[in-house]
Amino acid sequence: MTDLLAVQDLSKTFGGLSAVKNLSFCVSEGETVGLIGPNGAGKTTIFNLIMNEFRPDSGEIFFKGEAISRYPTHERVKLGIARTYQVPRPFSEMTVGENIRVGLLPDNLWKMVTEETDEALEIEIGRSVGFDDHQIAQQPSELAMGDLRRLELARTLAIQPSLLLLDEVFAGLTLGEIDQISELLVERKKYGLTYVMVSHDLRSMAPLVDRVIAVSFGEIITEGTFDEVVNNKIVQEAYLGQ
Amino acid sequence: MIRFLDQIRWWLLFAAVMCLLPLVVSTGTLRIFIFANFLAIFAMSWDILSGRTGYISFGHPFLIGIAGYTTAMLTYHLDWPLYSTIPLAVVMTMIGGTLFFLPALRTRGTYFALVTLAFMELMYHSMQVVQPKLTGGTRGLSGLPTVVYGALPNYYLSFAVMFIIAVGLWLLIRTRLGIALNAIRMDEDAVRSSGLNTTRLKLFAFMISAMVAGIGGALYTHYLGSIAPRGIFEINFLFTILVAALLGGAGSIVGPIIGAFFLTFLLELLRPYIPGAGRYLIYGVIALVLYYYAPKGIYSLIQPLRIRLSRSSRGAQID
Amino acid sequence: MGQIIIQGFLLSGLYALIAVGFTMIFSVGRVLNLAYGVYIMLGGYVYFVAVQMMSLPKVPSFLFAALAGVIFGLLTYQLLVKRLQSDPIAVEISTLILAVVMQATIIVIFSPAPRSMWPLVPGVIYIYDVGVLKNILLATVVSWVVLGGLMIFVRKTHTGRAIRAVSMDTKGAVICGIDPQRINLITWGLSGALGAIAGVFFATYTQLDPGMWVFPLITAVAVVIVGGIGSIVGSLIAAHIIGFMETITTTLIAAELRGVFTMLLIIFVLVVAPKGLFGKAEL
Repeated sequence: MTDLLAVQDLSKTFGGLSAVKNLSFCVSEGETVGLIGPNGAGKTTIFNLIMNEFRPDSGEIFFKGEAISRYPTHERVKLGIARTYQVPRPFSEMTVGENIRVGLLPDNLWKMVTEETDEALEIEIGRSVGFDDHQIAQQPSELAMGDLRRLELARTLAIQPSLLLLDEVFAGLTLGEIDQISELLVERKKYGLTYVMVSHDLRSMAPLVDRVIAVSFGEIITEGTFDEVVNNKIVQEAYLGQ
Repeated sequence: MIRFLDQIRWWLLFAAVMCLLPLVVSTGTLRIFIFANFLAIFAMSWDILSGRTGYISFGHPFLIGIAGYTTAMLTYHLDWPLYSTIPLAVVMTMIGGTLFFLPALRTRGTYFALVTLAFMELMYHSMQVVQPKLTGGTRGLSGLPTVVYGALPNYYLSFAVMFIIAVGLWLLIRTRLGIALNAIRMDEDAVRSSGLNTTRLKLFAFMISAMVAGIGGALYTHYLGSIAPRGIFEINFLFTILVAALLGGAGSIVGPIIGAFFLTFLLELLRPYIPGAGRYLIYGVIALVLYYYAPKGIYSLIQPLRIRLSRSSRGAQID
Repeated sequence: MGQIIIQGFLLSGLYALIAVGFTMIFSVGRVLNLAYGVYIMLGGYVYFVAVQMMSLPKVPSFLFAALAGVIFGLLTYQLLVKRLQSDPIAVEISTLILAVVMQATIIVIFSPAPRSMWPLVPGVIYIYDVGVLKNILLATVVSWVVLGGLMIFVRKTHTGRAIRAVSMDTKGAVICGIDPQRINLITWGLSGALGAIAGVFFATYTQLDPGMWVFPLITAVAVVIVGGIGSIVGSLIAAHIIGFMETITTTLIAAELRGVFTMLLIIFVLVVAPKGLFGKAEL
């Protein structure tokens, strides 16, 4: 099975602090990989590097076999990587539907000007994450955290990615909302979506992941199934040592 | 959101009123309207870039100046006809603007504002010194041909150009391009994360902005019949354009038009009472206060009114 | 040649002061104060009024000028920026409008004509056979003294360290019990003082003019872009590069083209190395 994503010897320092150190891992198509580790371990930095928020100091990132380290963010997204943020970032002055609309935009000036908006598709995507028609016309300021996260998912789904990076997708949610999001993720998986998820909420993550990678101080401590990793002594020390 | 046809009605109403205006106002007032029309063109040009994408440009006088000087020098020194110098001026503005602003556009909005300010200042000093025989130096060039003669024809010309630009921009912004540009203002990183090349989008907005500024600049120069560094590459001119767009309502097409008219008449109103620079002081203070309390401009204040008017006249549902 | 080196060095000192005053607000408050040049203008005009119109002695007048800067800085923050802080674009625009209003005010009070200011210290002193205006020398010395004082303030005093904390990480500073609003206020006042002090000298170096606020602002911006954000060393080095190049341009080519090199340098840096020489981040 080919790797969808392969990260090789990735390193990044910020002014003397080594955020990520010679990190390597792979993700296969259709997998859900959990990325865990204490605060400051470098998890979000890994996502940022994959998405080109910053360039790595060394190392390479491969997506679908292509070396993408030199590609700008939007090119990577067009290849099929999408990401959600720890704190949701909706477009504040637009409705839910319009937010999804941005995700549906083609990266082509001519098409943007000449082609009509496909409102039906917007609504369909909105409904697929659980929004009702009334909510689609609402502003983000009127939505609860769970809905904002659903909006994020809707926007990323509009992009039709192959790989979805989820950054603390359960943070700030009620138990009911966590269930809803989990269901959504499982459902999407049937379409062949690959996930890498970062989360502190290990319990919620457990049923979703095929494999877990544990990171601390910018390095991988261990990989394995959820149970293996969580019961690993070094991992426990890394967490408790906080 | 108000329906399309409804908005068309407002545009047509506006056009009708403006076309009939000369029947009821004096020539003097018409001249004021001419100025307002040009200011509206400049304000719209600024807004399509800065109001929409959030990349505040302080360099519009620079763009207007390129257009003005190109057409001025070509007609003054080479006697070329206006129908060739004006389009050429527009093209030069787009090229020149891109050359200078492209490096700045690739970065974040804050740099962009500063770099554009620096350009304007630079042009002011350079234009006085560089090749004064060509550019007319400090005094500039005068005695330029005008497109049409007289207040009335100039009124209709300036209004026609302004109206066509306004409707053109309005139609453009209603497309999905408009959404993309608006989104850049709200969160450019998120737009990139949605797979869009924001640099290309910004560049496109900039080129449109430069084109409109070029058209306005060239025509304005030939309306005045002269051009000089003072008055173009000047903070006051920049300020006037900015305030017109902001007060009217940045990020909309109509806002800058409203702002331009409002500002022009405010200036005229104050003219007899406060001479010279005092006017700028007063109107600067007014601008500051208004901006502080209503940063979204006059348009945002009247929009609810428009919606109510439409609703009551049709009783139909607003989407 | 010696003339250029010495003049360049002297000018750079002043530019360093101007630049640091400007970056302070950006580092701490994350907003651009486009009215910064007004502090410089105010410094010049207040000193002018005190010494040349009211015949007050120089040192108190100088302090008045600095005080004027402080007050204006504080007022700008308190009345204008504080409420708009969350929207950087709004701050940019409103400070620009403020600058124009101040320019108009100066025109109304003083008339648009430029005025010459008497040097603070008249006369010429000879360094290695190069004639240098004592005034400019004083400007540089004062600039370095002030910058040095600022360094000490920022490293050794509690308030100074609080300022550094806020500039690094506002949220972290809040957790440590620092009040960012108070720090912002102090920073704006400080920035006003620095600008005004620089302004007194800048006005003697060039001339008093209601539009004089634009050029120092652009120079400050150039220093920040070239030197890089968040780097004092970068600002100092950049100030010298710009100061020297400007001196070379005005001495050897033409006085009016003073700003051209600076502009081209800005473009060059933005295209080739957007982080500047020592920048830790892009703007």
